Amino acid sequence: MELSVIGSSQVKLGRTDFACREFGYVILKNNSRFSNGRVCFGQNLRLKKGGMGLKAIHVEPIREMKKNLSGSRTRSKQVDGVRLFVGLPQDTVSHDCNSINHSKAIAAGLKALKLLGVEGVELPIWWGIVEKEAMGKYDWSGYLAIAEMIQEVGLKLHVSLCFHGSKKPNIPLPKWVSEIGESESSIFFTDRSGQHYKECLSLAVDNLPVLNGKTPVQVYQSFCESFKSSFSPFMESTITGISMGLGPDGELRYPSHHELPSNRKTQGVGEFQCYDQNMLSLLKQHAESYGNPLWGLGGPHDVPTYDQSPYASSFFKDGGSWESSYGDFFLSWYSAQLIAHGDSLLSLASSTFGDTGVSIYGKIPLMHAWYGTRSRPSELTAGFYNTANRDGYEQVAEIFAKNSCKIILPGMDLSDANQPNETHSSPELLLAQTMTTFRNQGVKVSGQNSSEFGVPGGFEQIKKNLSGDNVLDLFSYQRMGAYFFSPEHFPSFTELVRSLNQPKLHLDDLPIEEEEGAESAVMSQESNVSMQAA
Amino acid sequence: MSISTTVFSEPLFNFKRCHYHRLATVSHSKLNQHTLSSSSLFSSHKYDSCSWILKPPHKFFSPKFETFATDTDTLESIQSSDVIFNQTHPINRIELVEGKIFVRLDQGNDLKNSELIVGCNLPGKWILHWGVSRADDIGSEWDQPPRDMIPAGSIPIKDYAIETPLKKSSSSEGDTFHEVRIGFKPSDEISAINFVLKDEETGAWYQHKGRDFKVPLVNYLKEDANLLGPKTGLSSSQGQISNVILKSESTVDKVQENSSESESPKKENSQVEGFNVELSLTKEVTVNNSISVSVRKCSETAKYLLDLETDIPGDVFLHWGASRDDLRIWEAPPAPHPPQTVSFKKTALRTQLKSRGSGEGSSVQVSLGEEFSGFLFVLKINQNTWLNNNGNDFYVPLPTPGSIIIGNIEDQSKVVKSEVTEETSEEESNSAFTNEIINEIRSLVTGISSVKRRKTKSKEAQETILQEIERLAAEAYSIFRTSVPTFSEEVIVESEVALESESPELPPKICSGTGTGYEIVCQGFNWESNKSGRWYMELKEKAEELSSLGFTVIWLPPPTDSVSPEGYMPRDLYNLNSRYGNIEELKDVVKTFHKFGIKVLGDAVLNHRCAQHQNQNGIWNIFGGRLNWDDRAVVADDPHFQGRGNKSSGDNFHAAPNIDHSQDFVRKDIKEWLCWLRDEIGYDGWRLDFVRGFWGGYVKDYMDATKPYFSVGEYWDSLSYTYGEMDHNQDAHRQRIVDWISAAGGSAGAFDVTTKGILHSALERCEYWRLSDQQGKPPGVLGWWPSRAVTFIENHDTGSTQGHWRFPRDKEMQGYAYTLTHPGTPSVFFDHIFSHYKKEIAALLSIRKRNGINCRSKVKIHKSERDVYAAIIDEKVAMKIGPGHFEPPSGSQNWSTAWEGRDYKIWEDAS
Repeated sequence: MELSVIGSSQVKLGRTDFACREFGYVILKNNSRFSNGRVCFGQNLRLKKGGMGLKAIHVEPIREMKKNLSGSRTRSKQVDGVRLFVGLPQDTVSHDCNSINHSKAIAAGLKALKLLGVEGVELPIWWGIVEKEAMGKYDWSGYLAIAEMIQEVGLKLHVSLCFHGSKKPNIPLPKWVSEIGESESSIFFTDRSGQHYKECLSLAVDNLPVLNGKTPVQVYQSFCESFKSSFSPFMESTITGISMGLGPDGELRYPSHHELPSNRKTQGVGEFQCYDQNMLSLLKQHAESYGNPLWGLGGPHDVPTYDQSPYASSFFKDGGSWESSYGDFFLSWYSAQLIAHGDSLLSLASSTFGDTGVSIYGKIPLMHAWYGTRSRPSELTAGFYNTANRDGYEQVAEIFAKNSCKIILPGMDLSDANQPNETHSSPELLLAQTMTTFRNQGVKVSGQNSSEFGVPGGFEQIKKNLSGDNVLDLFSYQRMGAYFFSPEHFPSFTELVRSLNQPKLHLDDLPIEEEEGAESAVMSQESNVSMQAA
Repeated sequence: MSISTTVFSEPLFNFKRCHYHRLATVSHSKLNQHTLSSSSLFSSHKYDSCSWILKPPHKFFSPKFETFATDTDTLESIQSSDVIFNQTHPINRIELVEGKIFVRLDQGNDLKNSELIVGCNLPGKWILHWGVSRADDIGSEWDQPPRDMIPAGSIPIKDYAIETPLKKSSSSEGDTFHEVRIGFKPSDEISAINFVLKDEETGAWYQHKGRDFKVPLVNYLKEDANLLGPKTGLSSSQGQISNVILKSESTVDKVQENSSESESPKKENSQVEGFNVELSLTKEVTVNNSISVSVRKCSETAKYLLDLETDIPGDVFLHWGASRDDLRIWEAPPAPHPPQTVSFKKTALRTQLKSRGSGEGSSVQVSLGEEFSGFLFVLKINQNTWLNNNGNDFYVPLPTPGSIIIGNIEDQSKVVKSEVTEETSEEESNSAFTNEIINEIRSLVTGISSVKRRKTKSKEAQETILQEIERLAAEAYSIFRTSVPTFSEEVIVESEVALESESPELPPKICSGTGTGYEIVCQGFNWESNKSGRWYMELKEKAEELSSLGFTVIWLPPPTDSVSPEGYMPRDLYNLNSRYGNIEELKDVVKTFHKFGIKVLGDAVLNHRCAQHQNQNGIWNIFGGRLNWDDRAVVADDPHFQGRGNKSSGDNFHAAPNIDHSQDFVRKDIKEWLCWLRDEIGYDGWRLDFVRGFWGGYVKDYMDATKPYFSVGEYWDSLSYTYGEMDHNQDAHRQRIVDWISAAGGSAGAFDVTTKGILHSALERCEYWRLSDQQGKPPGVLGWWPSRAVTFIENHDTGSTQGHWRFPRDKEMQGYAYTLTHPGTPSVFFDHIFSHYKKEIAALLSIRKRNGINCRSKVKIHKSERDVYAAIIDEKVAMKIGPGHFEPPSGSQNWSTAWEGRDYKIWEDAS
């Protein structure tokens, strides 16, 4: 019965369409949700155009790529679209017994993706599962099994090394780390009221021997090396990319929102996370060397709490303390800590995996709430000193460029139109800014969507972001599961896949200069700033 | 009897999938011969050294192996290792069992004490469902027989039939036999006895030639095809009606008439003589068989030897293959194959199992090379019956060299069940086909060589691929879905807990989202109410009646000056003279309702407002009256009205300028206006129009400022349809409504549009199964957030004279039987109250009141089937809608009928 439900509501095939469509791409026909006025143009036309929509794929050394940016036609495998990856379930390998959850469903899903023409899958590999029992005791069996399944089907694999925990599904940090944390809670990020964030370690302990005499960076390094040797048969052939976990949810940021609300709800500004013992002592040292020890006694006192708006307190208001020299002192330090942390982990990854031929990725968040205000508090609390006066992503892009890493930007499904007005949120403008900044540094940009469960207009926004001048390295679609294969969602996804590989005519005909796009983004960014009465 | 095969297997429900066998010691001489003969199967020298082992591989037939071993002196040469894997799968198959129905009519000697005997020799819980035809009744109607004809233990069914159970007796052969005897005195009144047989175990009905059995008692009855017994006149040549196979029309079972031995008829007045008829019947019986597989490793050849045995009688074909990985991809292993093996669709082999001498069961042995990691098979019996493992292929994992398999690694709990057996071969070849496709894709070098590709790929192949994708997605979906809790549900559970965990024992706190929780809303107007110009005064007259019916809240039409007479195009918000009456009359009607204890909701249209002046471009976007806003109060993203505000935080209503609620001055003015309405008019709460148009958070702001007693928002958008048919799962739709309620912080309820939509489909198309979601809860907003769901079946837009989305005609009461017994706050439409439904609605309202059903009542769905939906609410009220049958289960409750109407019924607990 279940089968028939789907069978009737899914993709219907139009025979006539195949004459000019590539093998494996699905056209949705008769589906009332999609108007079917698409232009169907012949293959010869595409051939003539000779790769107008060409996307550069395999990484060349970063420097080279920079000069190649607009016209690189290097070893491109898929000339006609971005490489599309689909995330496997977070709990693909079960936390309890290190076996594959729903392996039958995943096996079927992998085949379906392969037939659809998807390039590969993204697989989160959790620290808390592999090194669960004791330091240095790794159990890769579950992940090796899934890698084999993936290889067998002929898909590529992008792994995400997760040095953080997750609440949903529940995948905690390794037991032995949590035990250490129970007696030594200062290894966790801490907020002003003393609450700890226990889903990942504070960046302040990166180089402190808090884990049984080893530093977290050393522990991460051993983990990476063990991964590399265990998966050496898959490297480069099946595994084409590795994302290095950089913080909460794998992203380079502070856990400024202890629990990120879902995208459709209003976001407050978040809080600074500089109150664990080690952060405070770093701040103190910094203030002393800066010559103003009084500034090193703690974080700013006049900030709102997590869910409040920027106007609730004076720090983020227009002309508030964030614009003072103290504000600049604190915010520079706060973001520099994050960047240094990112740098050390990315250089660890690139030195460990540099000889494997696999691309290294890191991810930053898209803190789009309050982007329309001058202070942009959500980004500030998350550690990105990006205000109306300053591009906070330049230094971040530098560390990615320096370590020859690529960047993953989430939120490609979010559109301004669907954000609550009162947070002055603008995912589109922030994305445009970060993409431009990273590109200018020669860092290859990859994309991701934010919500596993779909947001209004999400598919349209993804298509928009993947088309035209947005030369993306790959797009990692989140995430396989019940919703993904549901009749509400799967047809839209197949439609997305098809559209990615079959760009609309006018986009091919009207190539847009990248510079223009960037400029207009900057302009509208200006106009979107809302001036506040001080 | 033929179903005696069941003795071999344990019942399915306590059957463990994997057995470790102990040595069986019982010897069974009957089976010896068979095993001897079967040894010829493996006479090739390759097998000689290792075909038999000490440890019997099969539980049921193990004895014979032992005996065999000792009988044939080959024991010493056995070199094989122990059994490394052993598994027995239960197989349920449907078997047709043949039996007979006996119908005998004994006419008493003195024509005074006749007897009709109906018997059956198949096991079952047989019931004779019977009635009589009266001589004076020309039609085919049944009647209840006279009282003295009814045997003890009979149950009357309505006024036309009797059900009498057949009693068990033993026939001379020792078989069980069921029979019933009906004694009667022949008279002219009764012309025939009609009956059908019913098997209570299976629920199957047995008829004769698709119609009732009819035993004529007088012989002037018209000849009828279903007459039993001696026919009058010419028809009989010794009554041999042989082997006429007749298809029954309305039963699942086939009744064959088979060489009935009837006596030759003799005319004798009007009475028929006695006769005796045997009719053969077949019954579907589930037979539990099993297949067992044991795996051994032959140390010499380094091959796996698999012994398969089954107790299924008859010819059994094994379709088998081997796989090299966990993906269980079928592959035909290389020879040697057992005798009688043919290759089947390239990826599988078909081997006929060698039957055992005893005629019960068959077996085969196959060998597989070490390179394989699994053995796959399905069984085929008869022409088209495939037997598999609950919808999946049977799979036997083979250990990789050096390791030992412990038990069955397959996780059976995640296996998807499907009852289809005949499609197995399709499935099997499909999965093989998938792999071929994948291989082909892999081999096709990517690049721009698609021209070539296009030529080589036929359309058919592409279509198959797409169907294959669909099939795979469906498969993945069905597994994921059953094991992953849905996201949305969690959210609701949390919010519900957060909002409603406060001391449930105390009398419910009044909050603007729910009122007391026991509210019942009346929509106090329709689309025509403005026509008279004095609606307030007309409605005032009804206040007392509405109160006595049980309504606690009334929703009045929008009160302001409006461009349209109905009030939904408001202009000057502070001018409360409308087509419904003037401000004094409004105050009067509100006061009257208060006098009768009914709270009053004002219909607040906050999304849009009509302008009174044009701007310099001639666009109507400058407002008048006390709130003389300009175009800064209008959202910027509707080009028609050239607003200078921010972009809209919701959907736009295109007929009028949409208000920009993100502007502080707008919100301040609206709050002030709402507070004025409360103070000046005495409104207790709000019905909020078109709340899709702006962010729910602003609503919270307004609710906080005006502290209403009760509020409800209209969030109306379309449900999901696929190919014009409504989807069963409307989670996305209700999620949007729930999201709005959450955004409003639960400060207002929302009309449960989802429930209305689902009721439409359920009632209109007789699809009552729609009324349960996949979690077995109500499928609308009331299943997720009942306290904030305001249920309704019709309003001024959907019904009345507009009829934008009218509730299925004449089924309104089924709709109310649902909403008025279920959690959520029900709203009843004025037009329905003052119609011929009044009495029924009043009855349902009083049931709701006296049982204390409220917006948080617990509902337990008992039936959600094609033609009936039934639920029990708070364990106090049971209800059903739909033509199908339902009786509330008798347990601790003592159910008594509280109300009954067309296609619905409600019970209360009377204890």
